[in-house]
Amino acid sequence: MGSDPQDRPGVRHELGVSVSGPEHSLSIQSLHVRYGRGEPVLSGASIALAPKEIVGLIGASGAGKSTLLRAVQRLVEPESGEILLDGVDLTKLARTELRDARRRLGMIFQEHALIERLSVMENVLTGTLGRTGFWQSARRRFAPEDVTEAFGLLDRVGLTGLEDSRCDELSGGQKQRVGIARALIQHPDVLLVDEPTASLDPATSVRIMTLITEICLERGLAALINLHDVPLARRFCPRIVGLKEGEVVFDGPASALDDEILRRVYGDDAVGAPAGHQGSPAGTEGSGGTDGENILGR
Amino acid sequence: MAAESDQQAQQWRPPRMIESATTRKLVLGGLALYGLLAFFTVEIDPTRIAEGLTRAAEFFGGWLRPDFVTRWTDIRAGLLESVAMTAVATVVALALSIPLGLGAARNLVPGPIYTASRAVLAVSRAFHEIIVAILFVAMFGFGPFAGVVTLIVGSVGFLGKLLAEAVEEVDPAPLEALTASGATWGSRVVFGVLPQVMPRMWGLALYRLDINFRESAVIGLVGAGGIGATLTTAFSRYEFESVSAILILIIGMVFVAEVISGRLRQRLL
Ligand SMILES: Nc1ncnc2c1ncn2[C@@H]1O[C@H](COP(=O)(O)OP(=O)(O)OP(=O)(O)O)[C@@H](O)[C@H]1O
Ligand SMILES: [Mg+2]
Repeated sequence: MGSDPQDRPGVRHELGVSVSGPEHSLSIQSLHVRYGRGEPVLSGASIALAPKEIVGLIGASGAGKSTLLRAVQRLVEPESGEILLDGVDLTKLARTELRDARRRLGMIFQEHALIERLSVMENVLTGTLGRTGFWQSARRRFAPEDVTEAFGLLDRVGLTGLEDSRCDELSGGQKQRVGIARALIQHPDVLLVDEPTASLDPATSVRIMTLITEICLERGLAALINLHDVPLARRFCPRIVGLKEGEVVFDGPASALDDEILRRVYGDDAVGAPAGHQGSPAGTEGSGGTDGENILGR
Repeated sequence: MAAESDQQAQQWRPPRMIESATTRKLVLGGLALYGLLAFFTVEIDPTRIAEGLTRAAEFFGGWLRPDFVTRWTDIRAGLLESVAMTAVATVVALALSIPLGLGAARNLVPGPIYTASRAVLAVSRAFHEIIVAILFVAMFGFGPFAGVVTLIVGSVGFLGKLLAEAVEEVDPAPLEALTASGATWGSRVVFGVLPQVMPRMWGLALYRLDINFRESAVIGLVGAGGIGATLTTAFSRYEFESVSAILILIIGMVFVAEVISGRLRQRLL
């Protein structure tokens, strides 16, 4: 997976996006979502992100974490509730304004969601489609400043020189990095990140999380990050929100997470008894832990 | 689930299409009876079979002595016409079938457009090429124009339907990612859909090129131009040597088309 890109201070400043720019906040208020006529998936979930805040969203499989992020983008239409981006309610926007709002919400996906048959560069540049005219993009005539920025971002995420590789030739970690670059070139105000480490090994997971949180700090972005992996969430997200069956059952600092709360979020099997199926890869934290079976990992 | 059924050995059979044994026997028996009755309604006339056999002998005699020379100008003109018909029809059909195929993909367009596109595709596939050709010959008169239109109709139905199916099967995740980055419908199609379906589409277009050439020989029989027209003429004059030559040439052309499309496929995919 190449060298870690941290030790290249030169690139960061070229990337242009001002660190001390306007501050952006996202507030999700009593969101109700269901697919078709099915059971409600979210029933009144509320989460507010302050500017520059990094929040980890944890919850069992099926709790509705992905649905929450998709509803914020209105990829699935919420039944009710408000989604305020800098005070503007996204649920009320008409098509054109919604497109612009989507552009401001950078999204990184669980299974990277790249177009496998296209090159790394093309995939990154699809992040500019919100501001590039149809014919320019269709003929792959992207604005030179976007191309320059794309090269800079590829450097930043550690994919220097891979711009012409086809995405289906990349490793899982590399694909996730392409996804990160694609989200960043949108010039997002807030990042929505859906299990960025879902299919990665523990070491790569840590590298990807490091990259994402560093970038948030550099650019002053607020981020909502879905994570399966509790130790990883504790390590990288100062604030944690626990989702269970579509409702927020915990919202507080990572340090407040204890066995009792994990039971509340994941159910009684989560703590103490062998809970292999909860699937946090051992050793992610690197520290082992006193009670090894605890998915808290400490 | 296996764990629940302790030691007891269990039997499992795939579910049958018709569950009841009696119904199944009745249906099968009915089908057999119908087949038998249908067979006896076909009149079998020994004298005509005998005549047919003599003609068959003549025909196969001619087959062994193909004559490329006597009617060469007609044959050449017919072949060239067929090739032109095939090429024009396939290209035009490909251009028409892309918008129709996209319009007939449920995951891409709103209901009314979907229904309308599906309807157009269904109509264009409703009749066999021969019937379509007869219709167009009646409309536009004898000749290759009716043939080209026939081939276009058939190919649009074929390519459009298969493209729509390919589009409906694309990986939805990248499309969603494009939507989430504020891309318009057009950009989503260009970046999210086409890269996933175009290889398939090229393959289908090449396959259709092949089919269209063979079709062009068939619809010529009802007056829609091409090598088929030459073939009918030769048949009606009982010039079996020329017929044989034409058939050999058709086989040769199909073979050449196969080789070329194989090469192209390797390049494109
Ligand atoms: N497209 C869909 N259509 C219908 N139901 C869906 C759809 N997507 C998700 N669901 C349902 O919504 C519920 C929540 O799914 P969601 O993907 O949001 O969970 P999650 O918390 O992200 O789980 P995981 O950790 O496994 O990714 C599940 O019960 C799922 O079956
Ligand atoms: Mg999910």
